[in-house]
Amino acid sequence: MLLLVLAAILGIALGISWLCVYLVHLGERLPATRRFIDFAVPLLFGVMLITEWELVTRGFGVPEILLPAPSVILVAAANALPTLWEDVVQTFVKSVLSGYVVGCGLGFLAALIINRSGFLKRGLLPLGNFVSALPIVGVAPIAVMWFGFDWQSKAAVIVLMTFFPMLVNTEAGLAAAGHMERDLMRTYAATWGDEMRRLRLPAAWPFIFNALKINSTLALIGAIVAEFFGAPTYGVGFRISTEMGRMNTAMVWAEIGVAAILGSTFYGVIALFERRVTFWHPSVRKGQR
Amino acid sequence: MTNTVTKLALAGAMALTAFGANAADKLTLQLKWVTQAQFAGYFVAKDKGYYEAEGLDVDIKPGGPNIAPEQIIAGGGADVIVDWMGAALAAREKGVPLVNIAQPYKNAGLEIICPADGPIKKVEDFKGHTIGVWFYGNEVPFFALANKHGLKTEGGPDGIKILQQSFDVQPLIQKQADCIHVMTYNELGQAYDAGYTADKLTVFSYTDMGENLLEDGLYALEPNLKDPAFKDKLVRFVRASMKGWTYAKDHPEDAADIVIDNDTTGAQTKEHQLYMIKEVAKLLGDSTGVLDEAAYARTEKAVLDQKIITKKPEGAWTHDITDAALK
Amino acid sequence: MTKPSFFRDSVVPVLTVIAAIVVLWYVAALFMNHSTVVAEAQLKGLAFTPSATWYRSWALDKPLLPAPHQIVAELWRSTAGLAITSKRSLVYHGWVTLSATLLGFLLGTLFGILLAIGIVHQKVMDKSLMPWIIASQTVPILAVAPMLIVVLNAIGISGLLPKALISTYLSFFPVVVGMVKGLRSPEAIHLDLMRTYNADDFKVFTKLRWPASVPYLFASLKVGIAISLIGAIVGELPTGAAAGLGARLLSGSYYGQTIQIWAALFAAAFLAGLLVLVVGWSERLVMRLMGARPERRAA
Repeated sequence: MLLLVLAAILGIALGISWLCVYLVHLGERLPATRRFIDFAVPLLFGVMLITEWELVTRGFGVPEILLPAPSVILVAAANALPTLWEDVVQTFVKSVLSGYVVGCGLGFLAALIINRSGFLKRGLLPLGNFVSALPIVGVAPIAVMWFGFDWQSKAAVIVLMTFFPMLVNTEAGLAAAGHMERDLMRTYAATWGDEMRRLRLPAAWPFIFNALKINSTLALIGAIVAEFFGAPTYGVGFRISTEMGRMNTAMVWAEIGVAAILGSTFYGVIALFERRVTFWHPSVRKGQR
Repeated sequence: MTNTVTKLALAGAMALTAFGANAADKLTLQLKWVTQAQFAGYFVAKDKGYYEAEGLDVDIKPGGPNIAPEQIIAGGGADVIVDWMGAALAAREKGVPLVNIAQPYKNAGLEIICPADGPIKKVEDFKGHTIGVWFYGNEVPFFALANKHGLKTEGGPDGIKILQQSFDVQPLIQKQADCIHVMTYNELGQAYDAGYTADKLTVFSYTDMGENLLEDGLYALEPNLKDPAFKDKLVRFVRASMKGWTYAKDHPEDAADIVIDNDTTGAQTKEHQLYMIKEVAKLLGDSTGVLDEAAYARTEKAVLDQKIITKKPEGAWTHDITDAALK
Repeated sequence: MTKPSFFRDSVVPVLTVIAAIVVLWYVAALFMNHSTVVAEAQLKGLAFTPSATWYRSWALDKPLLPAPHQIVAELWRSTAGLAITSKRSLVYHGWVTLSATLLGFLLGTLFGILLAIGIVHQKVMDKSLMPWIIASQTVPILAVAPMLIVVLNAIGISGLLPKALISTYLSFFPVVVGMVKGLRSPEAIHLDLMRTYNADDFKVFTKLRWPASVPYLFASLKVGIAISLIGAIVGELPTGAAAGLGARLLSGSYYGQTIQIWAALFAAAFLAGLLVLVVGWSERLVMRLMGARPERRAA
């Protein structure tokens, strides 16, 4: 019996991997199918992961409170859709979005200010290093103490977490414009504002988007972890923590799944924007590998 | 050459087994929370050599906020755990066959405290106010209480707004909650220190209200209990542990010192642990470790009524171990 | 043009900013702790003169916002004031956390680089893995860590490795993202040049892609090492919070010892800052060895 399970696991892994390779080569030969293939291959890979998971937990009899099978998780999720939705609104819409916008905005502004003053730059950056390294499991209880149990404390934690990556990357981006281009701007007698708008900001976009992408996952994790330390009785982090305590591991994984889908969608939306805005960067241009 | 190696290997193996025969029996205990005087009996039993005298080599693993002892024992990380009956019954229904083998804590230390000059004077006043509640298995008594008084827990003017309380008294001090949960032996002391002395608090003791559910007890897995050697280990363990608890009750200063020595985080203070051990002594009462069936029945009913479990549990406790230990 | 001087260019700005922050901090502590002081006075039936009330804000046992001198005093007490091997010493706890951090960081960097190389060179890996790598980071590790540790203990892996694995999980992502971008950053014209040299993938990698990705690598390493520290701290929680800076943080918060929390926080941040500094120095060393010239002060 165990041998059968093992054979099935190996078989599916090999089969789907082969299929993925085949599809990718197909996509290269038939450019028309490329968009479909770009979508299908990761999906297939994901299907393989989930099937293997199901086989391992069912086949080897893994106890549910250690690791539930995907089918069990799906059933639990289907039965708890209103709860999941309520949690998403609390965590993502209220905490993450507000904290993300404020944190990234502040980081961007701080980078602009620092750019004007070399003194501030040399003073603030090392400290920014320090602040960004404050571990969230220490900051979260303090934020709850100061801002209360609701979404405001979570947004505060996110602001703290996203500020520094945004600052560092924007600052690196503003420095990325080449010397020749900057000299050109001087010959045009461009003001600081003009130079920013026409040269430095456009050149900084790849770096800024880098930060925006990193911050998108940081923000979601920050909100969820912060909810472990005090929350009203809804929110993804709260649900994960309490259902874990009740050993409803299926519900825990359902929430984790929701968080993963949310985070990936958020990241994907930002990546889409990135492709449009930084179409000129080598890593985005097609035909260059 | 190979012959010599084989001979040496065999000799070595035999020597090792000889050692093995003399070694004490290993046992791992998973605590429900961090190293503190709440578990003094076990630390005392280890430090004073009671376990060694019974031929046991006990490894005590501290718990914490993200640790569910039920998961640890299910994953094979412990042989016996400290847990509360409500959580253990829930785990039993989820497929972890926990069985209560001893119940050192006779009384419950869970309480709700509110500022005396606040709006809450009786349980019915909870309606429309914010109450801090602990989760991770500690919410069962509260929901049972609310259920009994017909109070809804969804918030709004007609119900109780629940805050997931962290493990300190900040929500009370910061006025973020109208009432919070405390353990008599821990957070209550923190409240006292913050200036909320007994006369400034309205206290709802679960014990006084008759809603006390069984707290710290020892649990093991049912399949393991069928093994006579393992059962014998447990008997010796319970005997030594109860001896440790007796010593801790009679010598609180010593016990506090032992707990501090065993605390690897270095965060405990002697005065707080002394306070804790004295309060814990009150909760131990005159218990010899034998489970009180009436208290069990009350806990089981509360958990069933609150739909934490759906079926009446069978065989969730046994007197076998304590009977043999106290002989 | 004035000669660049380390003191004027690095030390003075930082010190000025720190001084400004400290002043602001004392003022903030005044306001934030005021209500606690007043409430405490009321509860304990003590009478404070207004100025004494203000002073008391800086000397509370469990303040909402500890004053800088309180934090410094606690830091000093737990580092220099104790033997390094004492269980109360922050140095001891810092070492416990650091060992897990370094191991996890090493594993994560290695794994990240290998993955990035695979993604850049193998289309299949790129198309199938990249979305899942991103999705993996959205799984809140603090939720998964306890389960992960229980499972690992069940197969017999305990101690340093589970905590290091959590650090690995967190730190491999910035490395992968940065390296993929870096390995793909050479201009098309340079890649064409390599084609004219009939260079195979391996040569292109060693001579062009890898050197071009070094700045991206170090940027990611800086982020990665800070995140590894956080991962190690997070990993300490499910293991019973027995030792390490995370354990200290948590036990401080159980007993409402806010000063202890802040001291541990600062110790962790200081450690992270130190680690990032070390990475920064190694970056400058590597860049100098690779022949990069320090950039002239921009106009």
